[in-house]
Amino acid sequence: MSAVCVLAPVVIVAWPAFSAAVIAAATSLGYEMASEKSLQKAELEEVKPESVRLEIENSEVVTNQLGRDQRILVSREGVTITFSRDARGRASLCVTGEGYDTETLRTMGEELSQAVVQQYVYQKIMDEMRSRGFTVVEETTTEDRSIRLKVRHWEN
Amino acid sequence: MPQREFDVVIGPTGTVEVTVKGYKGKGCLEAVKMFEKVVGELRSEQKTNEFYEPEELVRYQIDQKH
Repeated sequence: MSAVCVLAPVVIVAWPAFSAAVIAAATSLGYEMASEKSLQKAELEEVKPESVRLEIENSEVVTNQLGRDQRILVSREGVTITFSRDARGRASLCVTGEGYDTETLRTMGEELSQAVVQQYVYQKIMDEMRSRGFTVVEETTTEDRSIRLKVRHWEN
Repeated sequence: MPQREFDVVIGPTGTVEVTVKGYKGKGCLEAVKMFEKVVGELRSEQKTNEFYEPEELVRYQIDQKH
């Protein structure tokens, strides 16, 4: 053994890779893709569901001028989570759900946003390892949702 | 043939713990830097005894023909 290090993630990502991470994380937690129409319908019917706004720490969604209004919506059990890029370029999410208290919505939003960061980091590490000729010899997900990877490379 | 190995644990919040195996000396630092570049900020680092071992040398044997 040579060294053990701990790293905190910094998410600097283009919109397509970010939305791919959102979809993968949301699917794994039982969310389904939602459309803008469902939110608009609620607004028309003057339904005022509880809403919580969160931000993904240390994040920057890189996009061009045309991509500024991009949003991605997922829903589960009447809760809709909308991911977007805020004015400062950070990844943010808005959690809404009728009949839910703000604490529950916050917990659901935090759970999903953490899963998105985990998925983003997983994909980046896998891409880097493959490009360097490493082979994943073991991959497991533990009870606390940690992903364990064993990657190996044989030098010539 | 030397073997390089990483044990990577990606926690539920995206925090990453990496155990670097099979590197000696500067090679180990380069491996840590690679993960820094890919993941983000280095929060802590613990070097093991193998880190302080001399770097690997490639030894060539040349037979002189007369």
